[in-house]
Amino acid sequence: MANIATGTALKKLTRRNASIGDRIFDTLNITFLCLLMIVTLYPFLNTLALSLNRAMDSIRGGIYIWPRDFSIENYKFVFNQSTIFHATLISVLRLVIGSITTVFCSAMVAYTISRQDFVLRKFITIAFVLTAYVNPGLIPNYLNIRDLGLIDSFWVYIWPGLIGVFNLILIRSFIDGLPESILESGRIDGAGEFRTFFNIVLPLCLPVLATVALFTAVYQWNSWLDVFLYNSSNINLSTLQYELQKILQNSSAASSAASAFSNPDAAANAVTPLAVRSTMTIVASVPMIVMYPFLQKYFVKGMTVGGVKG
Amino acid sequence: MGSNIKSATSSIASDLKPTGLKLFFKKLVQQRILVLMSVPFLIWLFLFKYLPLWGWTTAFQKYRPAKSFSEQEWVGWDQFKFLFHDERFLRVLRNTLAQSGINLALGFITAIILALLLNELRGMIFKRVVQTVTYMPHFLSWVVAAGIIQATLAPDGIINLLMIKLGMIEKGQEILFLGIPKDFWTILGLGTVWKDLGWNTIVYLAAMATIDPAQYEAAEMDGAGRFRRMWNVTLPGIKSVIVVLLILNIGNLMESGFEAQYLLKNGMNIDYSENIDIFVLTYGINQSNFSLAVAAGMFKSLVSIVLLFMANSIAKRAGESRLF
Amino acid sequence: MVKKLLFACMAAVLVFTAACSKSNNGENNASTTASSTPAESESATASEKPLDKVTFSYFLGVANAPDVNTNETTIGKALEDQTGVNFKVEHLVGDLKAKVGTMIASNDYPDVINPDAGIDQLVDAGAFIDLTALIEKNPNIKRVYGPFLNQMKAADGKIYYLPISAQVGDFVPDPEINQGAFWIQRRVLKEAGYPKIKTLDEYTKLIEDFVAKHKDEDLTGLITLTHDWRFFSTSNVPMHLDGYPNDGNVEVDMTTFEAKTYYTTDSTKRWLQKLNDLNAKGIFDKASFVDNYDQYLAKLSSKKVVGFFDYGWQSANARNLLVDAARQDPMQDDFVYFPMPLTWDGGKDQLLDPPGFVKNRGIGISVSAKDPERIMAYWDNLMKEENQIFKSWGIKGETYEVDDKGRFYRTAEQIKKIDEPFNLSFGFRYFNWDWPQYGANSTLLDGNAFAPGFQPEVFQTRLTDADKTILEKYGVKTYAELFAAPDDRAWYPAWGIPKAQGSAEQIWETTKDEVTKKYYPKLVLAKPADFDKVWDEYLTAFGKLDTAGYEKWYTEQIKAAIEAAK
Repeated sequence: MANIATGTALKKLTRRNASIGDRIFDTLNITFLCLLMIVTLYPFLNTLALSLNRAMDSIRGGIYIWPRDFSIENYKFVFNQSTIFHATLISVLRLVIGSITTVFCSAMVAYTISRQDFVLRKFITIAFVLTAYVNPGLIPNYLNIRDLGLIDSFWVYIWPGLIGVFNLILIRSFIDGLPESILESGRIDGAGEFRTFFNIVLPLCLPVLATVALFTAVYQWNSWLDVFLYNSSNINLSTLQYELQKILQNSSAASSAASAFSNPDAAANAVTPLAVRSTMTIVASVPMIVMYPFLQKYFVKGMTVGGVKG
Repeated sequence: MGSNIKSATSSIASDLKPTGLKLFFKKLVQQRILVLMSVPFLIWLFLFKYLPLWGWTTAFQKYRPAKSFSEQEWVGWDQFKFLFHDERFLRVLRNTLAQSGINLALGFITAIILALLLNELRGMIFKRVVQTVTYMPHFLSWVVAAGIIQATLAPDGIINLLMIKLGMIEKGQEILFLGIPKDFWTILGLGTVWKDLGWNTIVYLAAMATIDPAQYEAAEMDGAGRFRRMWNVTLPGIKSVIVVLLILNIGNLMESGFEAQYLLKNGMNIDYSENIDIFVLTYGINQSNFSLAVAAGMFKSLVSIVLLFMANSIAKRAGESRLF
Repeated sequence: MVKKLLFACMAAVLVFTAACSKSNNGENNASTTASSTPAESESATASEKPLDKVTFSYFLGVANAPDVNTNETTIGKALEDQTGVNFKVEHLVGDLKAKVGTMIASNDYPDVINPDAGIDQLVDAGAFIDLTALIEKNPNIKRVYGPFLNQMKAADGKIYYLPISAQVGDFVPDPEINQGAFWIQRRVLKEAGYPKIKTLDEYTKLIEDFVAKHKDEDLTGLITLTHDWRFFSTSNVPMHLDGYPNDGNVEVDMTTFEAKTYYTTDSTKRWLQKLNDLNAKGIFDKASFVDNYDQYLAKLSSKKVVGFFDYGWQSANARNLLVDAARQDPMQDDFVYFPMPLTWDGGKDQLLDPPGFVKNRGIGISVSAKDPERIMAYWDNLMKEENQIFKSWGIKGETYEVDDKGRFYRTAEQIKKIDEPFNLSFGFRYFNWDWPQYGANSTLLDGNAFAPGFQPEVFQTRLTDADKTILEKYGVKTYAELFAAPDDRAWYPAWGIPKAQGSAEQIWETTKDEVTKKYYPKLVLAKPADFDKVWDEYLTAFGKLDTAGYEKWYTEQIKAAIEAAK
C-alpha cells in the first residue's frame, strides 16, 4: 500500500518489467511442471509396463516404462475371477450413494456450525472434531457395528463414514469465507434456513463440494477393510478392491503351485504377486484417474461468485 | 451443571429476566431449523463414534476377546507401564513426531506452492494435464510406491548411477541410502510428497476457485506483479483454509502413518524408522495383546487433543481463523 | 450316556452310508481310481438311503486360492457324492489377527476353522470342541493320527484340532531341494572340475577364485536374503553349519536333548566374520541388507550372482526361471544353481527336514458347528487311502498312469494338462494342504509316493540332459541324495511347538529378531578391524534377553515331545 505514494512512474516500470518477467516466469513454471510430471508419471508407467509384461520374466527386474516380454496373462488372471464384475457394481454403488450422502450431510452440518449465532455451534464443532483423534480400537468398533445391526449389510459402507471431520471443517471454512452480504441478502428476502442452505450456500460452495465428493469417492472406491471385517462371508456385498486383494493374495500361491506341479508351460505363464499387484493397481486406479478431469471444471477460477445471482 | 440448575430454579422464581438456561432454550426454539439440521447427526456421532469408546477400558485389562466384560482380568496401568518402560519408547515417540512433523511441513509447503504455480498457468488444457498427472501417484499403494523408492535408491538404482556419471562418487562406492539411519526421515518425507503432492493441492485449488476475479483485476490495476498478486490476493484468499487445515493436522502429529515406514524399514535404519504404530504392531497386535494397542491409542489421542487445543488457541491469539 | 451312544450309532451309520452312496454313484470318478479296497466291498451290501446334502462353512487363515464351494471342484464333487457334505471355503484376505479377534469377540464362528498362526488365540478362547471322542469313532482318522495323539493334546489333555498332516508309511525324501542349501552356479563347478565341497571355507574359496578369474563380468560373489520376516535365511545359517536341521531358534543336542540357542555362539560369530571378510574383499553384496524380496529374486535370476544360501521354496521362482531358460537353450545350464550341503568341519549335514509333525497349525471344529459328527465323518472318508490317492494323484488314465509294476507316473501330456486353471477346477489346489491328510513324505500301501512330486519316476521325467550329467558327476540320482539322511527327531520341528499368546517365549523371539536385524548388518559391514568391538556391543544388547529362560522352556518342551512320541 505504501507504493501508492510513489505514483505512476513506478507503475509503468513494473508493468513493462512484468511482461518480460512474466515470460521468464511462465517459461520456468512450465519447465518445472514438466519435470514434475515426469517424476509423477514414471511410477504409473512403470506399473503399467509391469502389468503388461510376462510375470515370470518380470522377476528378473529391469522393467522401466516399456514391457520387455509383452503378455496379457496378468489381465486374464485378474478378469478370470468372475466375482469382480458384480463387485465392481457394488463399488460403484457405494461410491455414488456414499458420495452423495456424505456431501449433503456434511454440508448441512457445516452450514449450521458456520452460523456464528447458533447456540449449539461450539458444542457440535468440538464434538465432531474430537472424534478425529479418538479411536476405540478394532474390537470395540466391530462389536458396535454388530450391535447396530450392520454386519452383512450394504449400509455398513455408508453409515460409519457418513460425515468426516476433515470434510466438515473444510466446507465450514468455505462457508465462512463467503461474503456475508450474500447470505444476508437471502435472509432479508425472508428465505428460511433450508432455502438459504439449498439456494445460496450449496451453489456457492460448488468447488469445495466437488472436492469433498472427490475425496469421498476415492475413499469409497479404495476401502476394503470394512468389507474384510464386516461382510467377508457375503460375496454379494464384496467390492472390487476386496476382490482384487483376494486375487493378489492368491497369486503367490499360484506361482508356487505352478512350480510344484512341474509343468514348464504353466510355470512360464504363472503370475506373481508383483505382476498381479501392478495389474490390479491399473485396474483399480484408472476409473479414479479418468474421473478427476470431470470434476476439475468446478475448480475453475472465479466461476462461482459471478455465477450466482444474489 | 450445578450452577445451571441453580440458575434455572432462580429463573423460575423470578420469571422476569431471561437468564442463562432460559435464554439458551429460547434461542434453541428460535433456531429450531438449525437444530433439526444438526442434532440428528449428533445422535449419529454418538452412536458410531462415542459409544464404542467403552473399549478404552480394555487398556486397563489383560483383554481376552472371548470373555465378557465382567470376566476380564484388570491389570491397572500395566499396559501403560510396558509402553513407557524403557528408553525405546522415547525413540519411537521421537521418530513418530519427527516423521509426521517433516511430512506435515513438506506436504503443506509443496502443496501450496504447486497450487500457486498451477493457478498462474494460462493454458487450461496444460493445467488440467499437470493436475491429473501429479494426482496419479496417490493411487499407487505404498507397496508399489515403496518398491519404486527402493529400486531408485538401490546401489544400482538411478540416483547412484547419476552420482557416478556426475563424478560425485566412484564406481564401487555406491551409497546404500536406505542403510543410512539419519537419511530415513528425509527419504520418507520426500517419498510422501512425491506420492501425495497432487492430491494435497486439490483443496487449495478449490479454495482459489472462490477468490473473486475482481480482486486480481484490482491488483493488476495497482500494478502488482505476478508474485505480488500471489502474495496479496491468492494467499490471503486461501489463508483461512490453510490455517484451519494446519490446526487439524497439528492435532494429527501422533499419526505418522504406518505402511511406508513398515515397507521401507530394515535392520540398518530401524532406530529412525520405527514409530509408535510399528512398535504397537510388534508388541501388541502380533502378540494378540489388543490392550496394549488400545493403551497406545489412548496415549496418542490424549497428546493429539492437547496439541489440537494448543494450535487452536495460538491461532486464536494470532487473530487467525480457527477451528472452534 | 444315551446321547453318546446315539451319536456313536449315528456316526457309524454316517460313515457306512457315506461309503455306500459312493459306490452307488456309477459315474463317480473317485470310485474308478481304486475300486478294490476293503471299505468299498463292505459297503456295497449296505442299505442305500441318500444322505441329506449339507453345507458347512470353513474359514481358512491362508489366502492360497479363490473362495470356493468344494463341490464345484472335481474332487470336492466326488467327496460330496460320498458324504453329502459340501464346504463353503472362505479364505483370509486381510490381517489374520484382526479377523480372528473379531470372530472371538462376537463368539460367532464358522463350522470349521483352519486359522494358521491364529490357532493359539482360538484355542485360548475356547473356540474349538474337543475331538478326542470323535477321533475314536472314526477309524481312518484314528489310523493316520493314532501314533500322534499324545502329541496333539493341549495343556488340558484335550485335542482341539487335527494338525494338517501326519507321516504315513515309509519316509520318501523330496528329490528336489526345497529346504536349506548353499547354492552355486553350475559353471563354477564345471570350471573347477566338479570338486566335492563339504565346508563353507571351501565354498567361499571357490566363489572367490571364480570371481577373480572373471573380473570383467561384474559378478557378485555372494548375497543373502534379509528382507522383513525372511531374515531367518541369513540368521539360520550357523545352525545348519553346525550340522542341525531347521529347528528355528534352537539346536537340540542329540544325546542330552538340551535346547541351546546359537545367536551368540562362535558359530554365528564365524559366519558373520566370514561375511565381513567377503564384504571387505568386495565379494559380498552389501545391498543384501536393504534389498526387498523382489530385488533379491531379480538378482538371483540375473545370472550375476555366483552363490547364496537359502531355502529352496523361497528362491524357487528365481531358480525356476533359470531352469526354464536352460531347458530351451542348454548353453544356459551354466547359470542354473546347484545345491550343496555344507558344515563347518565337513561333517554330517542335517539340511533335509526329518519327518516332522507340525503341531502349531491345524484344522478344528468350532463350538458353533452345526453337526461335528458329520464333519468328522467327512474327514474320515477323506483319509481313506483311495481318497488320499484321488486328492493327490487324481484319476487314473486322466491325471496319472500305473505301469505294469504298479508304479504311478504321469505322462508328458498329463503334466502339460495340469496347469493353474486345471488345478483349480479339478481341486488339486483346494485339497493340496488345507485338510487333514497324509504328510508330504508319506508312502502309500502299494509303495508309491503319496506326493506326485516325490515319486522318483515323476522326478526323472523332469530332468534335462545337463541335469543328469551333473548329478552323475556327483554320483547321485536325485539332489536329495547329495545330502545326509535326516536323523529321527521326535520333536521336529521345534519351531512348531505352540507358544502361548504374549508369553515370555514370544516376546523373546520378537526382541531377538530386532536385535539381530539391527546388529548383523553392522557386524558384516564393519571394518574388519572393528568387528570384535561391534561383536561385543551386540553381545551386550543380546545379553538383555532372558535367553536361559527361553532355552529352559524349550528343553522342557522337547523332552515332553519325546515322551509323548514314545
